[in-house]
Amino acid sequence: MADTVSGSGTKSNAFVLTPEKLRRQRIAKFLGEGFLLVVASFVAIVVLFIFYFVAVDAIPFFRQRGFAEFFTSTNWYPADEPGEFGALAIIYGSGMVTIGSALVAVPLGISAAICLSDVLPFSVRQYAKPVIEMLAAIPSVAFGFFALVIFAPLLQNYGGPILMWAWWLIAGPFVLLAVIVASDLLTSGSGDESRRKSLRIVITAVLGTVAVLFLYWVGKTLNAIQILSGTNALNVSLILSFMALPTIVSVSEDSLQAVGRELREGSYALGATRAETLVRTVLPAASSGILAAVILGIMRAIGETMVVWMASGNSSHIPEPWFNYLDSIRTLTATIAGDMGEADQVTGSARYHVLFAMGLLLLVFSFISNLVSERIVVRQRKILAGE
Amino acid sequence: MDLGTRKILDRSFTAVGITSILLMAAALLVVIVPIFTGGIGAIFFKGTVEHRKLQYNEFGKGDLAVIRQQTEETDIYRNKVYAMLDAFESEMELMEPTEKKKYRSQYTKVRKVLAHLFGPLPGDMEPILLRYQYGTTRWEKAEEALHDLMFVSKWDYSNPDEMAKQYFVPRSDEFAGTALAALFPYMENSLEKMLLPEMTFYWGFITERSLDAHIFGGIWAEIQGTFFLAAGAMLFAFPLGVIAAIYFTEYAKDNIFTSILRSANSTLAGVPSIVFGLFGLAFFINTVKVSESKSVLAGSLTLAIMVLPTIIRAAEEAILAVPKTYKEASLSLGSTKWRTIMTVILPAALPGIITGGIISLGRAAGETAPIIFTAAVSVGATIGIADVLNSPTPALSWNIYNLASEHEAASEIRHVQYGMVLALISIVLLLNLSAILLRARISKKLKG
Repeated sequence: MADTVSGSGTKSNAFVLTPEKLRRQRIAKFLGEGFLLVVASFVAIVVLFIFYFVAVDAIPFFRQRGFAEFFTSTNWYPADEPGEFGALAIIYGSGMVTIGSALVAVPLGISAAICLSDVLPFSVRQYAKPVIEMLAAIPSVAFGFFALVIFAPLLQNYGGPILMWAWWLIAGPFVLLAVIVASDLLTSGSGDESRRKSLRIVITAVLGTVAVLFLYWVGKTLNAIQILSGTNALNVSLILSFMALPTIVSVSEDSLQAVGRELREGSYALGATRAETLVRTVLPAASSGILAAVILGIMRAIGETMVVWMASGNSSHIPEPWFNYLDSIRTLTATIAGDMGEADQVTGSARYHVLFAMGLLLLVFSFISNLVSERIVVRQRKILAGE
Repeated sequence: MDLGTRKILDRSFTAVGITSILLMAAALLVVIVPIFTGGIGAIFFKGTVEHRKLQYNEFGKGDLAVIRQQTEETDIYRNKVYAMLDAFESEMELMEPTEKKKYRSQYTKVRKVLAHLFGPLPGDMEPILLRYQYGTTRWEKAEEALHDLMFVSKWDYSNPDEMAKQYFVPRSDEFAGTALAALFPYMENSLEKMLLPEMTFYWGFITERSLDAHIFGGIWAEIQGTFFLAAGAMLFAFPLGVIAAIYFTEYAKDNIFTSILRSANSTLAGVPSIVFGLFGLAFFINTVKVSESKSVLAGSLTLAIMVLPTIIRAAEEAILAVPKTYKEASLSLGSTKWRTIMTVILPAALPGIITGGIISLGRAAGETAPIIFTAAVSVGATIGIADVLNSPTPALSWNIYNLASEHEAASEIRHVQYGMVLALISIVLLLNLSAILLRARISKKLKG
């Protein structure tokens, strides 16, 4: 500050903007911002490069072999001479484990998210969030190792009993709950209180017996199942669902939180219970965010490599019958990872390029689902903001 | 619906939610606990005298006098076994050819198990592979081998409707009446004296190189490779990510161009990891040729691209979390925008940015798919810092896969695989834990 006012009262020119200085500042600003812009657009350039370089190596395959074989044939014999490159069974396998994992992860993830955001007290939530984050951080190869070395032998040796216990533990409470609710609903119409009570007990007993018999019958059927190989679609689907859960839970929880207190309090004020508030008011408002969460979770499952490579059995056929989750399958990601070792010595062969074609397929799928989920989130934000 | 039903529905709704959380927690335990206990077994186990010999010969660790004395002690008991083998062999010399044939294959099997337990037997050729030069180093493996020696496993196919069942017949029945019959009870009673198991804390599992493709030794080469790859990735991705985040939060205007950039960022975050591997192979190795073939550099670059979106997002959040008043105060004092960013906003956001960096470091360390084609080899020596530009490296994540499903003796070295998985999980989880703690401290500080 000392030299701003020099001895004889004349102003120094430190703070005076001469045209020269102004120009220099403008140039510096322009260059600086340009540099930032270039670095920031680096991401976009990388995305373009990824598309370009994967496509460049994928196109020769389609040029050589056309599209029909790749998408419609199930004969995958890339090592033969001439090779056959029908990827239908592999695409089917990818779809199968993705759907299987979604069937487990979506209901579980959404109910966990609801529980975290609206049911549990804040103090519990504080600790649950980091745990979920840690779960998301466990490397996929560790899950693959678990699936291959620990879970697959268990499934192979005790497959039937495991399925039966899972059925009892998961379906049992739900079915019994359904019985209680159904009998309550059936008797809600009649007037007399004491008659109603006895009627309810009778109906509950009848329905309960039927339900227990049903549970027992299904459990017995499951118990008799013998699993020939522990490395199958069921194993992979379960592990993948577990890997998709953290994404689904945390994104849907964010979207449930975004709904805000006003809607909830409005619903409570009208006399709704917590369940009714959540199902009728909060879930519809958050539905698009939850959909985005599901899409993100599914993307994690379809793009996962190590688990499916290690524990899916890697046999490229469509299971018989088509929904048989106890059969081995093969997926796109596992094929890319597994076949590149044999293919990359002979760069230029169809065997090398077909793997890039599969990569392109995955890339396009992830791109589309990403765009869709992004759109959905933006729309929800706009709706909640009241536009 | 009457009130009772509604109440029941409400309660059951809560129950379903809590059940799902408990299910998740249970599943987490089911995954973590066996890996943890198995992994501890790689470091803390009952080591035999063979383990101590190996440690002394290959790594120069241990007390020679003790090992000599133990070797002498065990040799007393082992020599009795060798004497029995000799006696049986001379007995076989005198047998009829048909009778000899009957014993031949069983006897070969016995010798094989004994060589597995004690190292090469007298009269065997000196083996070339290190794995055959020593006996069983771990006591639980010795017990398995003893079971192999005592029993012949057979399969029961009698029930055609069920899978075949395995059952065991004592091997001593096959040798009844010969000189070898005495071997089996003797082995069962004095195996401990032949191997002298004692509790071993094998710290070298982490700090030593592997011997003979992970049959013996530790996993230092993998840990170091993982460190090089992850640190290299951060070296590229961290500065780029932070700069991009500064642009997005402070300079980007709300226009189409910015939204395209943001879209690109989330697209990049959603690309399957194996596709990054393909891109790394096609671009860094085949097109730009950063190295002849796989190298740490190519792997790091690929991983850097993969973690870039995560870093950008975390840094953006950290910068946005800095209170607006800081910035306004600085601007009102007359400093320029750039100066405000460098001296006020970035220092305040730094802990948050570092948190994001730590989480990305963990992710880069744990990923396998991007390095399969670009950086990882299954068996390799520890590489120096000078080799990162052109040589590939073994890495934890890749070697877990490789040892578990492609190694020729995969089921023999489960303890090494468990140890590697535990090492990798510990590294990643410790990184995440420190990030979470750091973040908790920041949020406390920002609240005041």
